[in-house]
Amino acid sequence: MNAIEFHSLSKFYGKHRGIEGIDFSVSKGEVFGFIGPNGAGKSTAIRTLLGLLHPSSGSASILGFDVVKEGVQARLKVGYLPSEVDFYPEMTSRELLEYHAGLYGIEKGEKRIEELAQYFELALDRPIDDLSYGNKKKCAIIQSVLHEPEVLILDEPTGGLDPFMQNRFFELLESLNKKGVTVFFSSHILSEIQRMCDRAAVIREGKITAIEDISTLLSKQMKKVRLVLKKETELSLPDGFQNHHSAGSKHNFDYVGPTEVLIGWLAEQDLVDVVLTEPDLESIFMNYYQR
Amino acid sequence: MTMNRVLYFKELKRNRKNTLIWTSIVVAFTFLILSIYPSFSQMGDQMTELMSSLPEEYARALGMDEGTWSSIIGFYSTYYGIYITLLMGIFLASTGATIVGKEERDGTAEFLLTRPMTRSTIVTTKFLALGTLLAVVYSTQTFFAVLGMNVFGDNVLWRHFVTMHVHGFVLVSFFTAAAVLFSSFLSPKLNYMGPVVGMIFGSFFLDAIAKATEQVSWLGYISPYHYLQLQAESGSLEVNWGSCIVLMILSLIMLKAGHARYLKRDIVG
Repeated sequence: MNAIEFHSLSKFYGKHRGIEGIDFSVSKGEVFGFIGPNGAGKSTAIRTLLGLLHPSSGSASILGFDVVKEGVQARLKVGYLPSEVDFYPEMTSRELLEYHAGLYGIEKGEKRIEELAQYFELALDRPIDDLSYGNKKKCAIIQSVLHEPEVLILDEPTGGLDPFMQNRFFELLESLNKKGVTVFFSSHILSEIQRMCDRAAVIREGKITAIEDISTLLSKQMKKVRLVLKKETELSLPDGFQNHHSAGSKHNFDYVGPTEVLIGWLAEQDLVDVVLTEPDLESIFMNYYQR
Repeated sequence: MTMNRVLYFKELKRNRKNTLIWTSIVVAFTFLILSIYPSFSQMGDQMTELMSSLPEEYARALGMDEGTWSSIIGFYSTYYGIYITLLMGIFLASTGATIVGKEERDGTAEFLLTRPMTRSTIVTTKFLALGTLLAVVYSTQTFFAVLGMNVFGDNVLWRHFVTMHVHGFVLVSFFTAAAVLFSSFLSPKLNYMGPVVGMIFGSFFLDAIAKATEQVSWLGYISPYHYLQLQAESGSLEVNWGSCIVLMILSLIMLKAGHARYLKRDIVG
């Protein structure tokens, strides 16, 4: 059984497309990235998964529970961290977290609340309305993990957190993942996906354009090549080379194709120096996005 | 339909300040009008004379007649019909209009709807909390009205008092249910206070105009005030059980329709 499954899930707002025919699954214990630019449909997919939106067609399940017909059982096992944090302003963080614990039937959550608040350096007894956005985000993180969910759904999770707290948050995710928690990580910050995820789906204009292992995405994608030849020469570039710029004997270009072809071609050149740069996810993402 | 105990008590806590303020206003107003009755009753003949000098249509529109000044029930009924039911109606209907929609407007619907409860449980629990607020406000006002009657009046026609309060309860329940229904169709970003006040005042004035002017008496049929008299006419005031039952059934239908509407609503964020 997979942790999350989408089966041809579509959501339209009248005539406007939200997501269309989304069809993939996330295995138990996996850290799965969900990449796409703003407005691509990431939040629509997540909100449909959580029952906030009604699907136009198709279905989705969490740990085998249909999110429409068995939404309560599904949500019982899910921790959700929204991209925008809106809580009851009149409550303190402690009251909110105790309220959250009460809704999950947790009777003695005080100790866990204290531990997590200490970990994230959150003042529990200040009204939420008085908290900075970063502190509200910490409160949101704590509520997403407080009830020890089996699946964590994170929508742009690090917005508002300083780099130190981001690091603590990632460490917490890593420790939860080691205990078997599945993480569904939606973001447009690609370095986060690169750091945290095993696999990722790329969404563009409401449709999934690629689902790959992060390592595969990195390996079979574009490489940036910078080389210096012994003398100024006209280069004969085979298929897969693009964006060629040269200045004297220095050449810069991108390469998309089998690595052995590139190595073979380089071996034939009269080189002084060569630098191959691994692509970052930004480049990979743009490559998918432009397809 | 099930309810959630944690959410129920949280809703009561969230609304306690407003409920306390509005209940205090209504109770203070009830006591104020009952406390001035003895002064008016001592001027009984003068007041009756004043009444006879008023245009008949004007007195009818305000639910006044000679009986208004001759008994504490008559005096109380005038203010009860005009002010007290309006005040309670405005508070409870505005609370009804926002009790679900406020979560969406404030962005907290995302928090609430992602907890392990069905939407039906959430909406049912909120309606039960609303019903509790209605019962608290109404019973508190009734309690202090009974107390005031005993302190400031004598020979109270309790049958008229009960009739008035049964009719008042049905009217306020009807307005609250209507507010729940229309709010389920409107954008949560709207301020509901205007439509709520408009609905209640509109109903009241439609009935008043219909009573004052025979040519437009048909207007009264649109207003729920037409079916549930709050003032004694010719010294008589009986519970109109037929209208009470019909209006309560309509209230339940409106709540059910509002409930169904909220279940289908998308929370776009």
